[in-house]
Amino acid sequence: MSDNKSLLTIKDVYASIEEKQIIKGFNLDIKPGEVHAIMGPNGAGKSTMGYVLSGRDGYEVDSGTITFNGKDLLEMEVEERAAAGLFLAFQYPVEIPGVSNLEFLKASVDAIREANGEESITSSELLKQAKAACKQVNLPLAFLKRGVNEGFSGGEKKRNELMQMLLLKPKLCILDETDSGLDIDALQMVAEGVNSQRSPERSFIVVTHYQRLLDYIKPDFVHVLADGKIVKSGDASLALELESQGYAWLETHKDEESTEG
Amino acid sequence: MSEWLESAISRGQKIDDWLTPKRTRALELLSTTQWPTRKTEAWRYTPLRAIQNTKATEVEATSDLTPLAIADLAAIELVFKNGKLDKSLLASNLPDGLTISLGSELAAQQQTQAVADFSEVKPDRHLFGLVNDALAQDVVIVNVEAGVKIEQPLRISALLSQGAESHTRVQITLGEGAELAVIEDVQAQGDTLNTAFVEYFVSPKAHLEHYRFALQTGSNVSVGGCHFNMLDHSTMHSTIVAFGSDLSRLDTDIIHSGEFVDAKLNAIYLLDHNELFDLHATVEHAMPNGTTEENVRCIVGGKAKAVFNGRIHIHRDAQKTLAELNNRNLLVSKTAEINTKPELEIYADDVRCAHGATSAEVDKQALYYLQTRGISRAQANIILNFGFINELIDLMPNEVLAEWIRPIIRQRFSSMKVN
Repeated sequence: MSDNKSLLTIKDVYASIEEKQIIKGFNLDIKPGEVHAIMGPNGAGKSTMGYVLSGRDGYEVDSGTITFNGKDLLEMEVEERAAAGLFLAFQYPVEIPGVSNLEFLKASVDAIREANGEESITSSELLKQAKAACKQVNLPLAFLKRGVNEGFSGGEKKRNELMQMLLLKPKLCILDETDSGLDIDALQMVAEGVNSQRSPERSFIVVTHYQRLLDYIKPDFVHVLADGKIVKSGDASLALELESQGYAWLETHKDEESTEG
Repeated sequence: MSEWLESAISRGQKIDDWLTPKRTRALELLSTTQWPTRKTEAWRYTPLRAIQNTKATEVEATSDLTPLAIADLAAIELVFKNGKLDKSLLASNLPDGLTISLGSELAAQQQTQAVADFSEVKPDRHLFGLVNDALAQDVVIVNVEAGVKIEQPLRISALLSQGAESHTRVQITLGEGAELAVIEDVQAQGDTLNTAFVEYFVSPKAHLEHYRFALQTGSNVSVGGCHFNMLDHSTMHSTIVAFGSDLSRLDTDIIHSGEFVDAKLNAIYLLDHNELFDLHATVEHAMPNGTTEENVRCIVGGKAKAVFNGRIHIHRDAQKTLAELNNRNLLVSKTAEINTKPELEIYADDVRCAHGATSAEVDKQALYYLQTRGISRAQANIILNFGFINELIDLMPNEVLAEWIRPIIRQRFSSMKVN
C-alpha cells in the first residue's frame, strides 16, 4: 500500500518499553497533506507510537520498518528526526524553568535550520515570527519571556506546543491527545491552529481518545488502535461510529481474534 | 598556630586607635584559637594552604585601580583600594536620609555606638572575622534613616592590586521601615588576600536587598562574611554569585532576632579549573513566626571543588517557623568535587522545615523534549545546565544587575567543558 509518494510508512512494527511489548504489528501509510486520526481506548499504545516515531530513549523497536520522507527513520537520532520534519506535540509538555521560551525557540529554529543547511535566524526575525505565532494561538506575549511551560496551565501548554509547530513548519505533526484537559474554547482554538497549517505538503497524525476534536479537525482517515495495532480503518464516519458505540466492541474483536489465532 | 596567623596577631597588636577595645578582645580570642586542620569541622574540605603560602602583604593604596563597570547601573560607590576607603570616589551629595562615615572620624557619641555595634552580629566563631576585627584599617558606617527608601543601590567594592592584602569592614544600619539595596564585590589581580566583612542591622519593617559577587579567580585568597541581624517584620533578599579561586570562602549568618522576619538567600556557584568556593550559610531562628528560603545551586567542572554547609538552627521558642533549604549540584566533569552538608537543628515543635541536597545530572525528560525540537543532545545539555542557574538569576530583584551578570555567567559557563 505504500509507494514512493508516501511521507511516512510504518510496516509491521513491534515495539517495547522495558521489555514489555506494547506495539504489536503496527502498519500505517501517510501521504503528504493527509490527516490521520488514531483513536482507541486507554492503554492501546497511542502515546507509545508517538514516542517510537520521535525516537524516545527506552522505546525499543523490536522489528519492522519506518520510512520517513524516503529515509530510514529508525536510524536517526531524536533531533535528526525533528530536523527532517517530524514534530511531536506532547500530551504533557515538559516544564523547563530557567530557559526562556524565546531562547528555546531560537535554539530550536536554529538547530533545524542548521541541519538543513540554512543560516540561523536573526533575533529580530525570530521575535517577529514568535509574536505572530503567539497571536495566532492566543498566547500572551509575556509567555515568550517565561521559562518553557513553567507554571503554564494545561491549555497554555498545549497552545505553546502549537506555537512551536507554527514556527518549525514540520512535514508531519503528531498531536498526542492535544485535546485532553482542554475546554471547548481552547479545543476550538487548537483546531483552528491546526487547520491553518493544513497544506498539501503537511500531514498530521491526530491521536485522541475522544471524537470531539475531530468535529473541528476533519480527518481523511480514522484508525482504531487496540492492543498495539490498528484493528479497523475508515473515513471520518468511523469516528462518529466509535462515539456512539464506545470501545467496548473491541473486547469482542479481541476475543474473536484470539479464538482465531 | 601558623606563621601567617602569628604575623597577623603581631601586626594587630601594634594598632592603637578608637577600636582598640574590640581589637584587643579579638586578639585574645585569636591567641587561643587552633589553626584549622582537616579535623576542624568548619574547614574540613577547605584547606588553608593558600593562606599559609600567600605572598600578599599590606601595601599602600594604588590609584590605578578602578571598579569594574556595571552597565546601566547607577550606584552610590564605596571603593576600597587595597583595604583603604578612597574618599575621593564617594559622592559628596548623598541622598537625603543616607549617611556614610568612617568610624575613626565620627563624633564621640556616634563612635561609642559604632564600637558597641562592632562584631555584634558577626559571631566569634569565624576565625578570619576575628582577623578582620584586628586588622581592618577602619570601619565604614552606613546609616539609612527610618522610613527612607534609597533608590540607588550602594555598591561596596574591594579592589586589590598584585601582591596586596586587604581587610575591609562595613557596618550598615537600616532604620525602621527603611529600604536599601547593597552590592558587595571584589576585584583582585594576581596574588592577593582579602577579608571583607559586612554587618547588617535591619530594624523593624525595614527591607534589605543584598548581593555579593565573588567573581575573583586565580591566585586570590578571599575569606569574608555577611552577617544580618533581622528585627520584627523586616525582610531581606540576598543573592550570592561566586566563581572560585585558590581559596574563596564566605560565611553568612542570618539571625532572626525579631518575629515575622522573612529572609531569602539564593546562591549560585560556577567553578572550573582548580578553583575552590566554600559557602557556610547559617540561619538562626531565635524568634517565632520567621520564614527562610534558601536555594543554593552549583555547577562544578574541571578539578574544582565546591563546599556548601547550610545550617538552619530553630531555637526552642521559634514556633511557627517556616524554613526551606534546597541545594542542587551539577557535576560536569569526573574530576570535579562537591561537598554538601545541609544541617537542620530543630528545638521547637510547631515548625515546618524542609531540606534537600542533590547531586544530579540534567532531567532526562527535558533533554528529550529539547531533542524533539531539533536541538542536539550536547546543546540541550548546555541549555539545561545554564537554565538551572538562570532560574536564580531570574529571581534577582534588580533587573539591571541580572542583565549584567547573565552574560558573564553564560560566558563562564560556555568556557567550562561539559561532558
